[in-house]
Amino acid sequence: MSTFVIFFLREWQLLFRNTSTLIQPLVFFIIIALLFPLSLPAENALLQRIGGSVIWVSAVLATLLSLESMFRSDYHDGTLEQWLIQGRSLPMAMLGKTLAHWTATGLLLTLFSPLLCLTFNIPTSEISVLLLGLLLGTPSLTLIGAIGAAITVTLHRGGVLIAIIILPLYIPIVIFGAGMLAQSTQGLEVASQLYALAAILTLSITLAPFAIAAALRATIN
Amino acid sequence: MNPFTAIWNFLYRSFHRLGSPREFYKISRYATPIFGVLFIGLSLVGAYQGLFLAPSDYQQGDSYRIIFVHVPSAWLSLFIYTVMAIAGAIGLIWRMKMAFVVAICSAPIGAAFTALALVTGSLWGKPIWGTWWVWDARLTSELILLFLYFGVMAVYYAFEERKTAEKAAALLSVVGVVIVPIIHYSVEWWSSLHQGATVFREGGPAMPPSMLTPLLMMALGFTFFYGYALFLRAQNMVLKNEQKSAWVRELILQHPGSRES
Repeated sequence: MSTFVIFFLREWQLLFRNTSTLIQPLVFFIIIALLFPLSLPAENALLQRIGGSVIWVSAVLATLLSLESMFRSDYHDGTLEQWLIQGRSLPMAMLGKTLAHWTATGLLLTLFSPLLCLTFNIPTSEISVLLLGLLLGTPSLTLIGAIGAAITVTLHRGGVLIAIIILPLYIPIVIFGAGMLAQSTQGLEVASQLYALAAILTLSITLAPFAIAAALRATIN
Repeated sequence: MNPFTAIWNFLYRSFHRLGSPREFYKISRYATPIFGVLFIGLSLVGAYQGLFLAPSDYQQGDSYRIIFVHVPSAWLSLFIYTVMAIAGAIGLIWRMKMAFVVAICSAPIGAAFTALALVTGSLWGKPIWGTWWVWDARLTSELILLFLYFGVMAVYYAFEERKTAEKAAALLSVVGVVIVPIIHYSVEWWSSLHQGATVFREGGPAMPPSMLTPLLMMALGFTFFYGYALFLRAQNMVLKNEQKSAWVRELILQHPGSRES
């Protein structure tokens, strides 16, 4: 089996055997998104306008929350060190692991986001635009975030640091993703934002695994 | 030996000499005052020309004169990030001690220039645009750059072991370098309130020489200031990093006022 498949399946098994890690980011995502309607004046027009941005920000925060545990247990039980000295390609392994992690966080959030759209009264025609944006954007969030997780894996309290170093890199994705929805509600073309998200995804799939591998090699002695 | 080989060998040797902390320290002791004098000279002359000799702008009057601080700082904010990322990459690839020192010492200076560019831009925006801040592509991406600098500094100080800290911070600076072309082209890719490129553009600068000369002098002066501040910080860091080596001990003992401990 190829390195990618082995690591993808291993991560999947771990995630699905421990369903709490699977559900936590999802519940977090929904709660954050629902805080906004509760804290804002109950106007349908307002919620409709900001709904897409709220869902994007919640997705970013939920992804961020899931990052800290990404390498944590592998580091503590010594698995991570074994990966560094094994003969297989580390970037390929990390790509498999990260994408499996994405299916359990980003993909899950994306699949649940239409439900949230209904609570925000976002018209059904816009839901597909949001779905497409999240589908292209969230894998980049996880891949770029994994670099931060890898840099901070040896630190005892890496959580805040991950946020500080990763959130600036997330901003372009959020701008394009949320901007896409804003344009679409005004009846404008969204192709340019879609292409930008796709370009970011292509770059992160090809380059992030190498950065993750380099970060692990740099911080683990 | 043909002259090219001779030049190459000279450059190769100087590069290697700079790679050794001791040699770097020696060379930078000579270079620092030169950079400082060039900085003061160029920026004084540039500021005088810019503030007193250059004509007023036909639209913005005298308020445009903040350009002589704003534009050089903004250029430097990008230039320093690029230097930091290249130095970081050199350190990671060739395991060069001094490259890490250059990368780490550049971060606070770059952050300061980014903050200066943001503050002066904001001061300039109030009379001309009528607002301190707009969420426009150029301003937002420059703000992201400031946070990237903070991230690199935060990572460096988060690790206890210096060698790990250096590598982690260098890696982050390399990852963040994707933002540099985004900032540079932001005024072309998105229609923004910030004006487009005025100096480095096709068909030459859209600025009379009486304004361009002081601007370039200020930019050069600021670059020398970066070199000056970088050398000072790097010297300090080299002494700290190498405090257990013999040459640093000797140096400290030679220093008047030091005593054996």
